[in-house]
Amino acid sequence: MKMQKILALVKMELKKIIREPAYLFLMILFPTVLTLVFGLAFGTTPSGTPGKNQFDFMAPGLFAYACIFIVMVVAQSFSDDREQGLLKRINVTPTTSGEFMGSHVISNTLLSIVQVAIVTVCSLLIGFRPEGGATGFLLAFIFILVLSICSVGFGLITATVAKTAGTATGLSFIFILPQMFFGTFIPLNDATRIIGYFLPSYYATDALNLIFLEGAPLTELTIWIDLGILTIMSVVIVLLGILLFKKYGKA
Amino acid sequence: MSVKEKYQYSSKKPEDIIDPDNGYGIIIKNLVKKYEDVIAVNGLNLEIKSGELFSLLGPNGAGKTTTINILNGLLKPTKGTAIVAGYDVRKNLNSIKELIGVCPQEAALYKFLTGRENLDLFGNLNGMPKNRIKERMDYLLELLDFEEDSKRKVKGYSGGMLRKLNMVVALIHDPKIAFLDEPTVGMDPRARRKVWEFIGSLKHQNKTIILTTHYIEEAEALSDRVGIIDYGELIALGTPKELMEKHEAKNLEEVFLKITGRRILEGI
Repeated sequence: MKMQKILALVKMELKKIIREPAYLFLMILFPTVLTLVFGLAFGTTPSGTPGKNQFDFMAPGLFAYACIFIVMVVAQSFSDDREQGLLKRINVTPTTSGEFMGSHVISNTLLSIVQVAIVTVCSLLIGFRPEGGATGFLLAFIFILVLSICSVGFGLITATVAKTAGTATGLSFIFILPQMFFGTFIPLNDATRIIGYFLPSYYATDALNLIFLEGAPLTELTIWIDLGILTIMSVVIVLLGILLFKKYGKA
Repeated sequence: MSVKEKYQYSSKKPEDIIDPDNGYGIIIKNLVKKYEDVIAVNGLNLEIKSGELFSLLGPNGAGKTTTINILNGLLKPTKGTAIVAGYDVRKNLNSIKELIGVCPQEAALYKFLTGRENLDLFGNLNGMPKNRIKERMDYLLELLDFEEDSKRKVKGYSGGMLRKLNMVVALIHDPKIAFLDEPTVGMDPRARRKVWEFIGSLKHQNKTIILTTHYIEEAEALSDRVGIIDYGELIALGTPKELMEKHEAKNLEEVFLKITGRRILEGI
């Protein structure tokens, strides 16, 4: 595996995000607007818990919410590259599948770091004061990184099924909506929580709630169980995505 | 390690041992490609010498692009095989990819990148050192009079400019064997002439070039040899001059029309 090839592809993917308005909106502007809108709307609404407003309870879920949109970006990007004949073109160079997929994981991980930074800064500006301090943010980064890898996997599965970039956008909601409703900032009851158990974003949000709202220490077992389940889910989904895309998605 | 040494302890038969310096860039052996009930390539046998500019002609759907896609590893043959630069497409695709350059029929370029950025990307993907990429890029862009346009984003390119860059990307890493699939489609006559000169110059660099084109005069002007393919079968092979003499034609286009037209009339 050559770093030269991976870095060249990462550089290209990052340029795509910056230069293509649709990607720029989804990855950078969307989390900014989302956090500001929710913050302004719920930042002063009492929550019932003394000293906390409704936005305080939403903010941890917003980190995961921004990250799951990577599904759409990856699905669109792969479908678009396939439509343009670029996947075939790369396939006739000595670039291996590992280098190609690795570059996507790295570029989307980098983007998720930017997203976490955006949501963090916007939330803090609005008045969100999380518990957990620097360790809490470090843990949040780890959870979001793992969730972003999972989103790359879902994106690959979507791109395998979708034959055009337009279809990929629509189909990506199959993975985005359930995660959004049952695994981010929307409160869950006992029934909907059962659905949440099958969704990766649920575990990221659950851990972020513990860290940011309750100030749970690193010794809190639930955090590590959440991380373990999320990691296993992400590895399975990304491997499945790579296998399906390699077998059925390249044509 | 020589190729023979490499295969010394393998189970390969003697006829599978190919010497890359045997003078042949490509050897196609009884190649068959079937898509469900359609036979796209039907028992093709062909040898293309190293350093030869070989044109593969044929009507639409004759099997030209399928053949090229098998040679560059995008498709797997149903039967038979091909040896590219001494390596078998069924067994040594990775080695083949190090040695080939492919200019696809449709321009495949990143539109949000500039021409130079596209070249830099594909130079890197072919494992070229940084300084060599720049050197080669400058050389090719100057040769094709494309230096200024290459600094702009591909999004704003005309059809002819896209084609030109499409071909330069295929050759950025100075491949031993180049597959040029209809490289001049959509170019104005002046740009086409410029590209012809460029393709002609590759011959002097001992490159093996496989050109497919619908412009028969292009093939006549550039090729050392021409193969005409129809319904996946090779129906004529020779130098343009030999084919014209054999078929008593004034030019290669007449040969093409005589052969492929007759097959249509005869319902072959």
